[in-house]
Amino acid sequence: MFIHVLQSEWLKRKRSFASTLVLGGSLFTPVVVIIARLIQHKALPKLYAMDAFWPQLWRSCWESVAVFFLPLGAILATSLIAQLEFKSNAWKQVHTLPVSAASIFLAKLAVVLVMLLQYLLLFTAGIYAAGMIPYALVPGVPYPKGSFLDLPLWRVNALYFVDTLPIVAAQYLMALRFHNFLIPIGVGFMAWIGALAAVSSKVAAWWPYSYTILHHLKGAQPRWPAFGFFLLLTAAGYVLFATRREKG
Amino acid sequence: MLALETADLHHRFADHDVLRGVSLQVPHGSIYGFLGANGAGKTTTLRLLLGLLKTQRGEIRILGKPFTKDVLRQVGSLIESPSLYDHLTAAENLRLLQIVHQCPPTRIREVLELVGLAHTGSKRAKQFSLGMRQRLAIAAALLHKPSLIVLDEPTNGLDPEGIIEIRNLLIELNRSHGCTILVSSHLLPEIERVVTHLGILGKGRLLFQGTIDELRRQEVPTVRIATNDNATAVGTIAQQGIAACVDEGEIVLPALTNERIAALNRQLTARNLDVYEIRTVRNDLETIFLNLVRE
Repeated sequence: MFIHVLQSEWLKRKRSFASTLVLGGSLFTPVVVIIARLIQHKALPKLYAMDAFWPQLWRSCWESVAVFFLPLGAILATSLIAQLEFKSNAWKQVHTLPVSAASIFLAKLAVVLVMLLQYLLLFTAGIYAAGMIPYALVPGVPYPKGSFLDLPLWRVNALYFVDTLPIVAAQYLMALRFHNFLIPIGVGFMAWIGALAAVSSKVAAWWPYSYTILHHLKGAQPRWPAFGFFLLLTAAGYVLFATRREKG
Repeated sequence: MLALETADLHHRFADHDVLRGVSLQVPHGSIYGFLGANGAGKTTTLRLLLGLLKTQRGEIRILGKPFTKDVLRQVGSLIESPSLYDHLTAAENLRLLQIVHQCPPTRIREVLELVGLAHTGSKRAKQFSLGMRQRLAIAAALLHKPSLIVLDEPTNGLDPEGIIEIRNLLIELNRSHGCTILVSSHLLPEIERVVTHLGILGKGRLLFQGTIDELRRQEVPTVRIATNDNATAVGTIAQQGIAACVDEGEIVLPALTNERIAALNRQLTARNLDVYEIRTVRNDLETIFLNLVRE
């Protein structure tokens, strides 16, 4: 039965702002890189001849995504997906379906997580395109040195996925709880600003919104706090969701 | 056999008792009109029936079984305003539900045709008129061929033509598809021609429950008299041992035999009063309903 609820939830995101956000947010940085390189095309032959062409492109693209687009995208997309029901006045319809509260809760969360994976995959493909499109369009630019596939694609994406999980869980909890979508989004933005402010302090290691930023700035870090926050906030979100006296 | 039954249903919000012992009995195959003024507790009752509110006291049985999520497989509902995803088309809105209910995909087309929305194609729900939205919400309630349909004020905000359309649809569903329909409204004329049974709710209590004919039998005829001096006339009538009062410029008194009416008329004219009109008034259903609710 869960799979049917998941299919139904997946269909709801069709043409929604959240799915546009995933597409736009994931490709924004690569598109900016492509435009910037086409404008400064004279510097490209030297750049493309560098040994560390792909690692440098990879790191520069991740900078804006890890600090800005990934956390903010997670805040917005998670809140918007959960808010679809409030906006459509549809919680009462969802709760009168012959499915358990757990199925509803987990299916919506699964949709957000699949969208997060979609974001990371599109972004990775976008980085590859950001390397290859200027080569294809600008005459005299050599084929990039090294291989894109030598980059730690899967490992880095998997780690950023885990780093984003606490943000998703916290936003999901709030978005299911509050009818007014400005509350989860506003609190999410404030928490993200708090993460930026606290990034150089020890507090950052225990702040759910800071892990993507820490990953980019400090590299290796234990993942269990991020995973722990995810489990804790998800469990709290479910308890609040399932025990609501008035549904819909 | 009852399609829906509640026993001694109570509900309280903060310090306010919304329902005070509501015992509904909705016969199988009926169209049950659930009437009450705004704030009488209709929506609270329907929300309890569908599990949207937790039952505080009392019992609910749907299709002979205590309420569980599984019972909802046989129930279709529309509570208050339609639940529609504006960014999706009519067919997509129904597809979401078809996947969960696991009914044949052909049902989507069938119910869209039934409610007259088969032509909407790629038009998104946000472009629908209020009437179309209401009809799509009804289509969603019918999609999985439920045995019981619960509709909360389905004609709210509709124009007269829309109201007639919904009314005809309910009759069609009941007659051709054998659905039991529980439909709430705060206006008796809106559902009077459709329903087979009625439940009237006032201030959280069930004031009447039965068939339309049984409600008609509750009517109390009155005699209304118009004179040139109602105050003197009331005094004269009171001397005959009949309680009378003045309402909207007429004297109102309980039903009397023709002989007593004639005798009363003679008394009034003997006092030099001009009697313009004497008539017996039988209350219509609306008046009976309003009297019940006002009491």
